[in-house]
Amino acid sequence: MIEVAGITKLHGREVVLDDVSLTVGAGTQLALIGPGGAGKSLLIKIMAALVRPERGTVHVNGEDMLALNDVELARARASMGMLFQNYALFDFMTVEENIAFPLRQAGKLGEGEITERVAELLHQVDLPGIQKQYPRELSGGMKKRVTFARAVIHEPPLLFYDDPTAGLDPVTSSKIFILLDRMKRERGVTSVVITHDILGVRDICDEFVLLNHGRVVFRGTRDEIESSEVRFVQQFWRGESDE
Amino acid sequence: MSATEEQTSGASLAPPEPAGFGVVLASVGEPFLFVGRELAAMAHVLWLTVFYAFRRPVRWSEVWRQAFEIGNRSLVFIAVVLGFLGMILIYQSGFQAQRIVGDLQLLGALYLQMLFREFGPTITALMLATRVGTGIAAEIGSMVVTEQVDALRMNNADPVHYLVVPRFIASVLMTLVLSTLAIVVSFISGMWTAKMMFGVNPGTFYNTSFIIWGDLIIFGMKSLAYGIAVPIIAAEAGLSAFGGSEGVGWATTKSVVNASLAITFLDFLLSGFGYVFLFS
Repeated sequence: MIEVAGITKLHGREVVLDDVSLTVGAGTQLALIGPGGAGKSLLIKIMAALVRPERGTVHVNGEDMLALNDVELARARASMGMLFQNYALFDFMTVEENIAFPLRQAGKLGEGEITERVAELLHQVDLPGIQKQYPRELSGGMKKRVTFARAVIHEPPLLFYDDPTAGLDPVTSSKIFILLDRMKRERGVTSVVITHDILGVRDICDEFVLLNHGRVVFRGTRDEIESSEVRFVQQFWRGESDE
Repeated sequence: MSATEEQTSGASLAPPEPAGFGVVLASVGEPFLFVGRELAAMAHVLWLTVFYAFRRPVRWSEVWRQAFEIGNRSLVFIAVVLGFLGMILIYQSGFQAQRIVGDLQLLGALYLQMLFREFGPTITALMLATRVGTGIAAEIGSMVVTEQVDALRMNNADPVHYLVVPRFIASVLMTLVLSTLAIVVSFISGMWTAKMMFGVNPGTFYNTSFIIWGDLIIFGMKSLAYGIAVPIIAAEAGLSAFGGSEGVGWATTKSVVNASLAITFLDFLLSGFGYVFLFS
């Protein structure tokens, strides 16, 4: 369970997040939607304590993330996985080394088991046999799926997906959303999905939060967002412009 | 879950814009605050690097890889620059000495002393600041803007421990090695120039009588100080990169400017220390 309350973040004098509060219940898949520059990526980085806000609190499973020391943060982050918007695959590592990184850092499994698990995950994301390739040799869609594999290999109960289908073709996007849905249904993970692909997430997410100019302008279920009478909410949900 | 149509606004925490005389004060104070923040950030990276180097396991395979990158790949660059510098310095100083005193017997002895005290470590460090420092800043900076550093942190790998410590150890070792090589190359090229241009016998040129322990100590101190400063300044520049490719460009520029300034400042300080405590 994630609870953020009163989050305010500045970039210089500009207010990027303005008093944002929201709760993600255990086992919930929440879609964080909104126009570019609304502060969505920043918000999930604050949830993972990668960025510190000027004001506000973040509690993950009851733990105050902003009050933890380095050792406690490392332990808390061991129960999280993040799929980054820009892939964030390590250039100097092979696909196998990238995916295995969280497991090797945790140091709990032997090399044989790690190799086996990497192969199994690559098979699940339809990329078998690319262990020895480097990220520069992969297409955008392949990179996203490798990033997905790295985010979930240590089976974290909490996942953040930052625009998992950005720049991908419809077929690959569909595969990614199937994987996200499977994570929720089969493993019961709690997750936050940032996306611009409303069609892709409307069936797989339980709740929707719409951010605009750093503020939460709507929060609710699919039925509630579809019946909202706020013009901006309607426009964003339906992908309509003023003209 | 009920829908929240509009959330109450949080109060802005942005500091107020200065007005009136405050604008003048702000414009005077801002550069000092900027320098203070930069120095504090560098000190923080240095502290974390030293802490992790002694308190956490070092990835030695990465240290040797970085030593190869910093050392072997800089070898030709350093040798060429210091080789030509040796020729130019001996030609200019030999020409002037010939006009003033007409005796070049001590040319080699004085040149060797100057190489140990000044040119060997300092020119090498300036070369490393341009070749190695910018490389470190660009590599770490691009990792920051592509979220690789965030990915490290998400996986319990501190970026300073994982990225900076191996480069730091490799740089300290290789700066000493390359500075020694620079002295050898520069001295040999100077010896050759002295023979060709002024007819000074290599046996006469090779004169170590002016080298005292203080010269070796100051050489070691400068090499160590520069070897520490370059990777720390470069890493701090890389870690503070933001945005996209523009941010990486800004980080590399910041790295080379700050490292050059630091080398000049450290040179001044350590030379002063040498003249007061070691050479007098």
